[in-house]
Amino acid sequence: MRRTKGPVLIVYKMAATLNKGTGLDKNNKYDRQLRLWGDHGQAALESSRVCLINASATGTEILKNLVLPGIGSFTIVDSCKVKGEDVGINFFLTVDSIGKSRAQVATELLSELNEDVAGDFLEEDVDDLLEKNPSFFSTFTTVIATQLPEKTLLHLGKVLWERNIPLIVCRCYGFIGYLRMVIKEHTIVESHPDNTHEDLRLDRPFKGLHEFCDSLDLNSMNKKDHSHTPWLVLLYKYLDIWKNMNGGKIPSTYKEKTALKELIKEGVRRNAEGVPDDEENFEEAIRSVNSSLHATAVPAEIQALFEDPCCLNLNTDSKNFWVMVRALKEFTENEGQGLLPLRGSIPDMTSDSERYIQLQTVYRDQAEIDATAVAGHVHALLHNIGREEPLNPDRTKKPGTLSDSEIRTFCRNAAFLTVLRCRSLEEEYTTETANLEELGQHILEEEEDANSDSDDTVLYILLRAADRFFTEYNRYPSYFDDTLDADIPKLKACLSKLLHDWGLTAGVKDDYVHEICRYGASELHTVAAFMGGVAAQEVIKVVTGQFVPINNTFIYNAQKQTSTTIIL
Amino acid sequence: MAATLNGVLENNLAESIIKSRLLMVGAGGIGCELLKNLVLSGFSNIEVIDLDTIDVSNLNRQFLFRKEHVGKSKAQVAKESALKFKADANIVAHHESIFSPEFGLDFFKQFTLVLNALDNRAARNHVNRMCLAADIPLVESGTAGYLGQVTVIKKKLTECYECQPKPTQKTFPGCTIRNTPSEPVHCVVWAKHLFNQLFGEDDPDQDVSPDTEDPELAAEAGQAALSTEAKKDTIGGIERKSTRSWAMETGYDAEKLFNKLFRDDIKYLLSMENLWKKRRAPQPLDFQELPGKGEAMCTGVMRDQRVWSVQECADIFAQSLAALKQDLYSKGDGGTLVWDKDDHNGMDFVCSVANIRAHIFGITLKSKFDIKSIAGNIIPAIATTNAIIAGLIVMETLKILSGNISKCKQVYLNRIPNDRKRLLLPCALDPPNPKCYVCSEKHECTVMLNTQKVTVRVLQDKILKGHLNMIAPDVEIDDGKGTIILSSEEGETEENYDKVLSVFAVGQSSRLKCDDFLQNYSLTINIVHVEKLEEEKEFEVVGDISQFHPTETTTESPVEGHTNGASKSKATEEEDDLLIVEDQVTPDLVSTGRKRPAEDQQDALLIKRKKQESNTEDNEDVIEIS
Repeated sequence: MRRTKGPVLIVYKMAATLNKGTGLDKNNKYDRQLRLWGDHGQAALESSRVCLINASATGTEILKNLVLPGIGSFTIVDSCKVKGEDVGINFFLTVDSIGKSRAQVATELLSELNEDVAGDFLEEDVDDLLEKNPSFFSTFTTVIATQLPEKTLLHLGKVLWERNIPLIVCRCYGFIGYLRMVIKEHTIVESHPDNTHEDLRLDRPFKGLHEFCDSLDLNSMNKKDHSHTPWLVLLYKYLDIWKNMNGGKIPSTYKEKTALKELIKEGVRRNAEGVPDDEENFEEAIRSVNSSLHATAVPAEIQALFEDPCCLNLNTDSKNFWVMVRALKEFTENEGQGLLPLRGSIPDMTSDSERYIQLQTVYRDQAEIDATAVAGHVHALLHNIGREEPLNPDRTKKPGTLSDSEIRTFCRNAAFLTVLRCRSLEEEYTTETANLEELGQHILEEEEDANSDSDDTVLYILLRAADRFFTEYNRYPSYFDDTLDADIPKLKACLSKLLHDWGLTAGVKDDYVHEICRYGASELHTVAAFMGGVAAQEVIKVVTGQFVPINNTFIYNAQKQTSTTIIL
Repeated sequence: MAATLNGVLENNLAESIIKSRLLMVGAGGIGCELLKNLVLSGFSNIEVIDLDTIDVSNLNRQFLFRKEHVGKSKAQVAKESALKFKADANIVAHHESIFSPEFGLDFFKQFTLVLNALDNRAARNHVNRMCLAADIPLVESGTAGYLGQVTVIKKKLTECYECQPKPTQKTFPGCTIRNTPSEPVHCVVWAKHLFNQLFGEDDPDQDVSPDTEDPELAAEAGQAALSTEAKKDTIGGIERKSTRSWAMETGYDAEKLFNKLFRDDIKYLLSMENLWKKRRAPQPLDFQELPGKGEAMCTGVMRDQRVWSVQECADIFAQSLAALKQDLYSKGDGGTLVWDKDDHNGMDFVCSVANIRAHIFGITLKSKFDIKSIAGNIIPAIATTNAIIAGLIVMETLKILSGNISKCKQVYLNRIPNDRKRLLLPCALDPPNPKCYVCSEKHECTVMLNTQKVTVRVLQDKILKGHLNMIAPDVEIDDGKGTIILSSEEGETEENYDKVLSVFAVGQSSRLKCDDFLQNYSLTINIVHVEKLEEEKEFEVVGDISQFHPTETTTESPVEGHTNGASKSKATEEEDDLLIVEDQVTPDLVSTGRKRPAEDQQDALLIKRKKQESNTEDNEDVIEIS
């Protein structure tokens, strides 16, 4: 299996093919996770090629959490041999493997976890590889780097940044966990936002909604139909009345909305004695006034994407995402009349199923019309940049083109599109471009509030100091037990220099310096296990293109069980 | 091992780790991660209890298990896998139920602390009581999708698992299930009941025939009710026989069963006119004339993802019925089948039946994938969350061992960093609830019931076991004579089971002394006699704890409580009882709303959930213990 150079892709494909057909039913095996990211998320996961640098405990824990849910393949790059101290903390290195290639042993044991994942390794020094064959990394979907010294990390960061390959840096140092996402540009269609408004368009009703609602006459309905008319229809009708009474305006203030609610309340049927009936749909309509009458508009975040140079200057190499954003912009400016394509779903509500389904169809049909219009723009744009014939008769997907289902998914999520652009490692590590304002502020807070549970940024600064120590002495502070006392002042000096370079006047408490010295750069399994979960989750977000990854640094304080994220 | 600690841990802690004896309850998703973390952190005396065997759907995260282990004991295989990597660890595996009498007080007392890695509330309640009785610390945990939490329980120092009542498990009135379903879940419950009626153990609470005692009908009174009774006899006299024996007689004939269940019974329901005055009336179906007739059956990969036509449902109903019949016959006389969400035929049966019934009642049909979620109470589960939570558990364990239990935290894992950029939310542990009927000095509660209707059996099964979480209760009346009405010894009080409480002179203000020897737990119940409780409830536990009683959550209620995801939700992946389907969206360990530290109040925005669809589309926001 040992390779130093060569056509990586071919090896993977063979391995993947060999594994086909021997597996268990994937739907059963992956059932519990398909419910989180769906079949298409799983397909993206299964086509990913992940590279891990260093089969450290942190590294194998991350990879374990990626092999289990079924990434396509992984390659471990590591030149070390298994040592006794590795075995004690790394579940994927065994005692009898001491002296063997760490990359090889970990690859073999990790491969056992899932026969549908192809595992591969390269026993080579990362510095050499970066020097001699940097294009080696070009074939990967994502690269994970663990326990790397600063110099190597920066070199790797530069190589991957140039090639637009996402890098996830993870490190465990005593009771500290550190994660850094280095992604030039990551575009997310399915961001799975937590809180969303329904897209109902009551303020801007479309033709189908007009027609459907106008075809229903509340007054002539029998009792059962009246009390089973969907609230969406009720709200439409009473809003219409309200608008007629108020010069076409829709209610926006609290007072106006209350007036509308009163109006709806009056519509509830009464029995012979004049007592209002129990009509749940009317109650739902009243409850929905506040949440459903917000003005439909293109969100500011999406407006910003429309003005992004990537959207405005399409070319042959443009990402599909940007082609679709541009199509969306054109739709909004034309057919959409200032609005995004309709999402096409409605919430559950009291209704007879017949009219509920009709209403569902009304929304779905309009969403379909909108999506078709967007698709038209997409195809025209692809044609303009020389990527597709305008009328591709079979509509089959070719490289660089887009399928109808992709365009539909995009339209459904049009209001939630997200673009993540991380800062590069170079920016972070260059004093002129470092985010010193943020660092300074956190140090200050830390100094002011000694009991602060809330700020772990100081741990980052200490890790940087330890790195500087490494640069100077070619070992981490107190890496050997007997140097603890001697290393504390040396580390303090490194820290002072670092803060001085940054122009920060605030100090870091001695306790912290002692603590980090005591860690001796050791990796604790339980911290590695925790970070393995966190980092793998971020990798899954990146390769599935779903959910928004952390931007850009995550720090875990295992002693306090606290964590923070910060942009550095 | 020394290399790993390398002076990072204080010396006395390193020593405590080596000396300590741990009990890990559960070897599933969290359990696998935890066992690995423990052995690689230097723990060497660990006992593992798990009753479960390995299923294919475990393999995406329970990494100590492989394909070849499917069907084997989780505890045993977990032990063997861990020993491969750490041969000198002393791991004892018990393929046993935690409720087994062999795990009594003496068993618990030998451990330094107990780590729960469980997936159901009953077992959590039990371990909680055992740890309180043995006075040893318990680390409790759970995950669901991207969310998770860890907490520490110690007698007299922290809240116990039962200090805050959990939202009651959602149940549906029998008449909704049998007569007037209005949501897909009602049809799924009915379909599971039908499965048990046809193949499983008999349970009188799971009748699937039309319910003539529907309170809505009672309101009808007089003439109409009489005529309903009269009609009953005209429908082939089927009702008088059990569904099972009738089905057996027909040889599980698909057409006959179909036409009885979906045509004749529905026609009978239609005769209860009062039910349909304000509702859409159901439409009976005939096996030979179904919508979608003549269309090809759906096969291939998308079979489980798309919604089947009614004709397809009927075909799949017939297919699965025949297969299940074979399974049943192969069990011999008196054999029964147990429904399992991961069994192909059982799932096909429930899915097709639920959809046919949904069609009849004009309810939205669902795909098998979605119905599996509802019926199996499936909570999404992934390796990453379990890894994170297991890491946190060990950190809390280390604090306990170093004598810093007061520094322990209750830690919540958010789906994404919250507005304050925190992925983790540590909260201080709350002190015990002085009125908790489990961990306070005085164990007392009040139960409202009708003493002339509630039997000793109901007292035992539904109140003491079902609600108050006892395992093997004994009950004596505090009447000065010590009359024993219920004994956990077999054969001692069985003749009492079907007698109502008033037979034993239990009435207003009676006090019942209930005792569970296994849990070393006793509780005094004050009886309040009431004629009738709302919503057809048989009893209601009130009194001291009631002031904390949360309102029952429903599917459309805020599921998650908070955007910070410190969610509350109960994890019952393996509990197949559909009546607790609500557990997916209700608090697991403790309700967390009040646990927010002040600084995090701003995060406490309620999330509005979509109904139903959200359960399957993005129901990652719930807590499981896997």
